[in-house]
Amino acid sequence: MQLNKVIKEMFFLLGISIISAFAVNFISPAGIALVGKWDESLGGKASKTKGYVFSGELEIKDVKTAKQIYDSDKAVFVDARSLEDFERGHIKGAESLPLGQFDELIGAFRKKYPADTFIVTYCSGRTCDDSHRLEQLLFDHGYVNVSIFIDGYQGWKAEGFPIE
Amino acid sequence: MNKNLRNLFNNGWIEIAFRWIIGATFIYASYYKIMSPMDFAKILYGYNLFPEFLINLIAIILPFVELISGLSLILGVYPRSAALILNGLLLAFILILTINIMRGHEFDCGCFSANKTGSPIMMVARDVIYLLMGLQVLLFNGIRKGCFIHPD
Repeated sequence: MQLNKVIKEMFFLLGISIISAFAVNFISPAGIALVGKWDESLGGKASKTKGYVFSGELEIKDVKTAKQIYDSDKAVFVDARSLEDFERGHIKGAESLPLGQFDELIGAFRKKYPADTFIVTYCSGRTCDDSHRLEQLLFDHGYVNVSIFIDGYQGWKAEGFPIE
Repeated sequence: MNKNLRNLFNNGWIEIAFRWIIGATFIYASYYKIMSPMDFAKILYGYNLFPEFLINLIAIILPFVELISGLSLILGVYPRSAALILNGLLLAFILILTINIMRGHEFDCGCFSANKTGSPIMMVARDVIYLLMGLQVLLFNGIRKGCFIHPD
């Protein structure tokens, strides 16, 4: 085996791979940022889509604050997880609005809740970012008062707060 | 090496079969990762092994290394080098899976799709089989069939 030749060919193949990878990531609408947002303390770990702008001020960063909001009865908790996950267990009284079915369900949701409704989105916990994405989608649909409960269902359940 | 075994090892039909199997598998495996790099990045994060600043870069580049090397094996363009790259990847996968199995870390393979793909031990076994096929392609000494560029 001529080692030199194989190494050259390998660099050639890897070079083509890297160039096409960055080119496709740049063009593709599904492309991601070169560096993600994985800080656990911030919640909503995500690879970040390109051009994603997010303000951490919208986050509810601890479970007790979320519980206070819940107890005040002023907010609607909205579950961003799939319907199956929702049916297996969710925050008591929460509405299901799975991210994957957002387009189908947002019409009915809007009829039920006016744009000034205080909404708290959540997903399974700090390692998911569906609640963040749902917040963005709701904001795009005119909801101006949306917060994200980053500890999500797992954090809520762990505290023994009401679920159903 | 036993002569029959050596003949088997240097059988051109087996070499092209293995090349196509590995090539097709990696092209298939790259598809969903290219379509949804965001999900793949999250799966990589879930392995809890990579530095955070590298996760997205791996999620962007790795699928294309799989795709280009897979195509290269099937088309017979630099098959030995492509086999070397893919064997390196397989070794890395085996290592990563084994580390996570040993430390009992629950994770999602993310090998073929965002859905769970069987038990981790089965994944390691599968990768070992691919690696053995890859070694045959890498070390093959005869004339390779169906190559666009005849390298050796």
